[in-house]
Amino acid sequence: MKNIIALVIVLFLVALTVLLWLGKESLGAEELISLGVILAIVGFAVFILIRRIKSWKAGEPQEDELSKKVMLRTSSLSYYVSLYFWVFLLWLKDRVAFEQEELLGTGILGMAVIFALSWVYFHFRGVPND
Amino acid sequence: MTNRIKEFRIRQELTQEDLAKKVNVRRETIVFLEKNKYNPSLRLAYDLAKVFEVSIEELFSFEDEK
Repeated sequence: MKNIIALVIVLFLVALTVLLWLGKESLGAEELISLGVILAIVGFAVFILIRRIKSWKAGEPQEDELSKKVMLRTSSLSYYVSLYFWVFLLWLKDRVAFEQEELLGTGILGMAVIFALSWVYFHFRGVPND
Repeated sequence: MTNRIKEFRIRQELTQEDLAKKVNVRRETIVFLEKNKYNPSLRLAYDLAKVFEVSIEELFSFEDEK
């Protein structure tokens, strides 16, 4: 139950931040892309939330040894890939005109996307023991 | 490592959900176990063997991976 509440709070904060951001600026092409990525990440979080609520209602544990292992492998892989992503962004910064906020925003959103993709990879592939 | 979880589960007329509840894991974990895509912890292997009333050796087979 704690996990569900924590996830709902995070989702609420993200939605609130996006609404404040949308109210402040008119959206150009770059903002629309960022918004799309944010919505995809929020969609992923909602998917996790629904899974947890279903497990809770079915009387299953929300997390067990496999889901913890999946999360562990996901964290490890996404951290590793994110390092290369940041190196790529820093390389790109010297070649393309980037504002600092854009660079940070792209980096953070990219890390979130890498995490979500890593989770999908391990969730469907499974975690065979080495 | 291979296992006979599905065989024993069907023999005892248990659904994946029933078995998952008995050993306190998610149904997905049972799915991955039955597909031999996940090797359980010793604790879970013990719990599964207890539910089926067999030994761990009967439930799991280890093959040398050299």
